[in-house]
Amino acid sequence: MTHILDDYAVLSPLRYKNNWLKLAIVTFGILTGVSSSSPCVPFVIALCMGFATVRFGKISAGFYLRLLAAPAGFVLVSAVIIAFFFGEGAKLFSLGVWGLTLGVSEAGLNMALLVLARTLGGMSCLFFLSLTTPMIELFSVLKATGFPDSFIEIAMMMYRYIFVFLEVAMGVKYAQTVRLGYRDFRTSFRSMVMLGSNLFIRSWEQGEKLYVSMNARCYDGKLILLDEKRPVKLPEVVLTIAYFALVVTVYYFSRGMFIV
Amino acid sequence: MAILETKDLAFSYPDGTLALDDINVRIEQGKKIAFVGRNGSGKSTLFLAMNGTHRPKKGEIRFHGKPMKYDSKSLREIRKNIGIVFQNSDDQIFAPTIYQDVAFGPVNLGYPKEKVEEIVHRTLEYVGLTHLRDKPPHHLSGGQKKRVAIAGIIAMDPEIIILDEPLANLDPVGADEVMDLLNELNYFGKTIIISTHDVDLAYSWADYIFLMNERRVISEGMPDEIFMQDENLKAASLKRPVTLEMYEEIKRRGMARYQCCPRNIPDLVHALRSQHLLWVDVPPEVKEGDYVNLGILYGEYAQNSAYEAANCKVLHIHDDGLAIVEMDRKAFRAGSIGIYDTARHSREELLQVMERDGIECVGAMGKRSKLLAERDEIHLDVTAGVVDRSILNALSGQRCLILTNGGMVYHALERIRNYMDNSGLNIPVNILNPGSEEVVKQETARSMET
Repeated sequence: MTHILDDYAVLSPLRYKNNWLKLAIVTFGILTGVSSSSPCVPFVIALCMGFATVRFGKISAGFYLRLLAAPAGFVLVSAVIIAFFFGEGAKLFSLGVWGLTLGVSEAGLNMALLVLARTLGGMSCLFFLSLTTPMIELFSVLKATGFPDSFIEIAMMMYRYIFVFLEVAMGVKYAQTVRLGYRDFRTSFRSMVMLGSNLFIRSWEQGEKLYVSMNARCYDGKLILLDEKRPVKLPEVVLTIAYFALVVTVYYFSRGMFIV
Repeated sequence: MAILETKDLAFSYPDGTLALDDINVRIEQGKKIAFVGRNGSGKSTLFLAMNGTHRPKKGEIRFHGKPMKYDSKSLREIRKNIGIVFQNSDDQIFAPTIYQDVAFGPVNLGYPKEKVEEIVHRTLEYVGLTHLRDKPPHHLSGGQKKRVAIAGIIAMDPEIIILDEPLANLDPVGADEVMDLLNELNYFGKTIIISTHDVDLAYSWADYIFLMNERRVISEGMPDEIFMQDENLKAASLKRPVTLEMYEEIKRRGMARYQCCPRNIPDLVHALRSQHLLWVDVPPEVKEGDYVNLGILYGEYAQNSAYEAANCKVLHIHDDGLAIVEMDRKAFRAGSIGIYDTARHSREELLQVMERDGIECVGAMGKRSKLLAERDEIHLDVTAGVVDRSILNALSGQRCLILTNGGMVYHALERIRNYMDNSGLNIPVNILNPGSEEVVKQETARSMET
């Protein structure tokens, strides 16, 4: 069975903490990270969030790093390109390729580091949220922010059946693979089309079954939300304030400061 | 009293395919009913008609004697009282968490929030799933999902619970847990209707059986009647239950006492005629039909227990004083069954009881008791078919303990007493930690016996 991010969130101990507190921490992290002109602040945020996810959220460090590797790899390549093509002025170093001179200027390097830090900071904030807060917890947040009830109810049922169809899709895909359905490009294409149309018909049927089974249980337009009261405890408040204070301090002292 | 009846019921799908034809069934309150038939014989369609989803083309359905009406208010009333558990749990569990799903019925019945909370809590406790209340359904196993689906129905407190193929795709232990749950619900007065093509299940479980084939009910009756009608079984593409088949073969070889019809393994064992015939030199005063005592066998001569008393029935006496006797072995050490109610459980007391009574075989019935045993590190010898297994072990001289709770305590007690009544064999059985009301009950039962 494959795990998706939501499965990790369901099993994480941080799931049972106050949703609003987690949202506040993440929003704060993203906003300060983006508004800081120095790469120090987003780096600090990335470190703190990563630590919190692995330590308090009980996500294995190996898995977390692998997860972070995808965006990190992408942004590293971008950073190299930015470093070479941005910024005027004195080059820190340069190299000649086929008669062209490519160089890295101070401004370009700073820009590259800032982009790298901001991306990592932002990603670690989002991973913190998605690895500790499953969708089922967020429905009550959606409700509180004023989304219409019917929208949330449909979202809840869609959430549930995503997993049912994921399982069906994996089953069909496997059945196709063992009968050489993905042998080459042509057959893969045909198999994908069959998988898609099959899923479409199945979801149609599932809709009818759902209607019957909801009626059989006296459906009267009500679906309740999981609205757990999760009071914020003192240690959490202290930790959050300490984190905010640290970030703000770094923010204050690193104004206009550059790495190089 | 009939709680649900159909009269000349016929139903066809919108495209004109006839799905049910001329169905007349009468379902008694508080019974365990099984509709048995091959796939596609119309069981599921009939169930959907019974809770008002399919409107019959002809005939009518009566609930408590009143014809079913199809306005939305009456339908709500019907569906509250006739709960249906679908074959595929995923069709039925649509809320994102277990808690929300079980709460679905009560919320839609318009109960206030506190009452919903109380009902859901109680129901989850009852089916032993409290620890999973915040989990999404796709994190659950098949057996757990089935129990959630059942919990969603019993949260509405219906009078009748209909289950379409309740054991499809369940492993033996999961199936056993679901059946324990159904027996307990039935014990507390719910009428349970299941559909199945598992003849063994229907035969050993149901009080009354409807045999279906090709959109019709072709036969109905008590389980032993139904499964003796070979022609009907053949017509319905079903076969005889294994227990019955074995009994028939044993009987044909003259190895069975006349006793129709064993429904489970203890019954089957009891139906066996003792096959030990011996030549014995008997004293002259012994007559045919007397019992003689040959003493006590032990060691390799005792087959089932440490010591066995060999009592022999004299079948025939020759002129020279030699007699043919039929040996009837009785375990010398009496087995017993103790039932321990885990609702009032303490580890020390339980260990003490096990020590005191020399318990050799421990079984647990119901999810809660199994979890408790696991937590308290009590080794379970039996986890499936616990009552049957305990009877068999007690008959061969073992002292057995059944861990269970709530209504299943009485269910187990009743099953064992029934066996004693039917077989004439006595097995000492008692509740080891009776609550106050049960002490009174046991006292009165004892005084009535004397």
